Amino acid sequence: MQTKEYIGESWKHGILIVGAILVLLPFYMMVSMSLKSQQEIQSISGGLIGAQEVQTFPVCVKTGYSEETCTTKPYIYNYWFAFEKAPIPRYLMNGVIVTFSIFIIQVLVALPCAYALAKLRFYGREFVFSMVLFCLLIPVHGIALPLYIMLAQAGLVDTYSALILPWTISVFGIFLMRQFFMTVPDELIDAARMDGMGEYSIVWKVMLPTAIPALLAFAIFSVVAHWNDYFWPRMVITGNRDLFTPPLGIREFRGGIDSDEFGPMMASIVTVTVPLIVAFIIAQKRFIEGITLTGMK
Amino acid sequence: MHNSKAHIWFIAPAIILMIIILIFPLFLAGGISFTDYNLGNKSIGWVGLENYDKMFNRKTYVKMIWATATYVIVVVPISVVLGLCAAMLLNSLRFGADIYKTIFFLPVMATLLAMAIAWEFTLHPTLGIVNSFLANGCGGVREFILGLHWLPWVDSQQSWYHVACANNMDFPYWLKQKNTAIWTICFIGIWQAFGFNMVLYLAGLTGIPRELYHAAEMDGAKSTWEQFKLVTWPMLGPTTLFVVTITTIRTFQVFDTIEILTKGGPSKTTYVMMYAIFEKAIQQNLTSIGAAITVVFIAFILILTFFQRYVIERRVHY
Repeated sequence: MQTKEYIGESWKHGILIVGAILVLLPFYMMVSMSLKSQQEIQSISGGLIGAQEVQTFPVCVKTGYSEETCTTKPYIYNYWFAFEKAPIPRYLMNGVIVTFSIFIIQVLVALPCAYALAKLRFYGREFVFSMVLFCLLIPVHGIALPLYIMLAQAGLVDTYSALILPWTISVFGIFLMRQFFMTVPDELIDAARMDGMGEYSIVWKVMLPTAIPALLAFAIFSVVAHWNDYFWPRMVITGNRDLFTPPLGIREFRGGIDSDEFGPMMASIVTVTVPLIVAFIIAQKRFIEGITLTGMK
Repeated sequence: MHNSKAHIWFIAPAIILMIIILIFPLFLAGGISFTDYNLGNKSIGWVGLENYDKMFNRKTYVKMIWATATYVIVVVPISVVLGLCAAMLLNSLRFGADIYKTIFFLPVMATLLAMAIAWEFTLHPTLGIVNSFLANGCGGVREFILGLHWLPWVDSQQSWYHVACANNMDFPYWLKQKNTAIWTICFIGIWQAFGFNMVLYLAGLTGIPRELYHAAEMDGAKSTWEQFKLVTWPMLGPTTLFVVTITTIRTFQVFDTIEILTKGGPSKTTYVMMYAIFEKAIQQNLTSIGAAITVVFIAFILILTFFQRYVIERRVHY
């Protein structure tokens, strides 16, 4: 019986390890290419990190840097040259600006609305709630074209507003927060009213602190979705590099796949992809919770 | 009871934004789809159903519907089944489940566009490790396994692997070839989606009471498969319905991999709807046909979701 169980367990690990290798394959390729020299990439040699021989990089010399600067180990060159070629910090900054603006506005809009739907009694509340439920069905990517037309008519294409505006309303956020607020006892709110707090203070000073766990899950969901979003930025940002979000940057790095050096290209892609992956590995539990809990979108 | 008017200020911004950003565009897309409007035009002419007529009769759009349908029909079931299998395997492990869970969830988190490029290089005919792995395995164990020589009806001299080896390592150009491109794109889609489904199923599995398995054993369901049929699968009904709907909606929206890797080609075999909307309406400025595709697209998704709600209310509660 014992041995039989061990065999079963080994089988399972065997299958899962094959799966894990398949899943990790592109990650391996990406990291490995960002570390190796062009020759090693083209001859598919050198394993994960390559030989790391000090050498002079011709493309770098051609670009106008001194021979001395251009003579170094491949991994240093790849990452250094990636940052020389494209304003990567700027792209990352844009990613931060856009995702955080979206999240903050979503909360500013959704939280009071959710509070009103959960805890205030007023005429038409059911109607507003059914409107929220209906809007929950509309995929924002699906209506991208009419939204684009509206933004184009307003002259907002190629601006931060175009990146942010369509996402300012998160019906899902309203729905989630409302469900959460329903569980908050009425006594808490009544007590706050007794103390003379206005409805505004109640939302931000009483309800907001109780909603932190739900809000955190929603934050992760929102930030991940918009940090990785490529479709919408691709629609509304046509050429202005100053507005590129990380995925648009990635697209630009890939540019001339046949002519360019692959090392620096992959180095840029790794740089842009890494922040989120590191955050995920550090706070895994929260991420999985946030993304699946809110996966209903 | 309070009698302030605070609620008006609380709900007004949300209502206004819902109307402008979510509801009005539906009507706008619907309206434009019946016209010949192009962005920048001064005049608008009513053309009735012409755009829809084109959509269902022109070759390009018929191919679009085929490509989208193929992608959805392949990716949804496989990624759901893989997610379920992975979840059940992990659930029965004695140790190490967390590591696999993290690894399988990585693709869900990582920027899909970056991973698409990474796959492009992994599958590249001359630079990629996949084809070099295949080429190095000619005549060996890899050929035996991947060439399916172990199946009784496969002739080892005729298998795809053997033929490629014999023809000077002529392995597929995965993303560039008409007969492999859509399947490669599907593969990347499955690779990306199954970890998400796995996590949802893991949550579903923890909700099944242990006693049910004991009860099933009493009733004579001894084998794992019988227990699965009798307990696990029915108990996971609601989870499955949820997973299938979400995956379908997400799968319908595939865009990133197509735009960066194939641009809808070769010969429109990967020309999915989201990419068609983007290419027609934004790049070629054919706004009205883009609007028609948008309407059909949204109709698909709404029908799906209503279907899900209907089924939820009728059946899946055991």
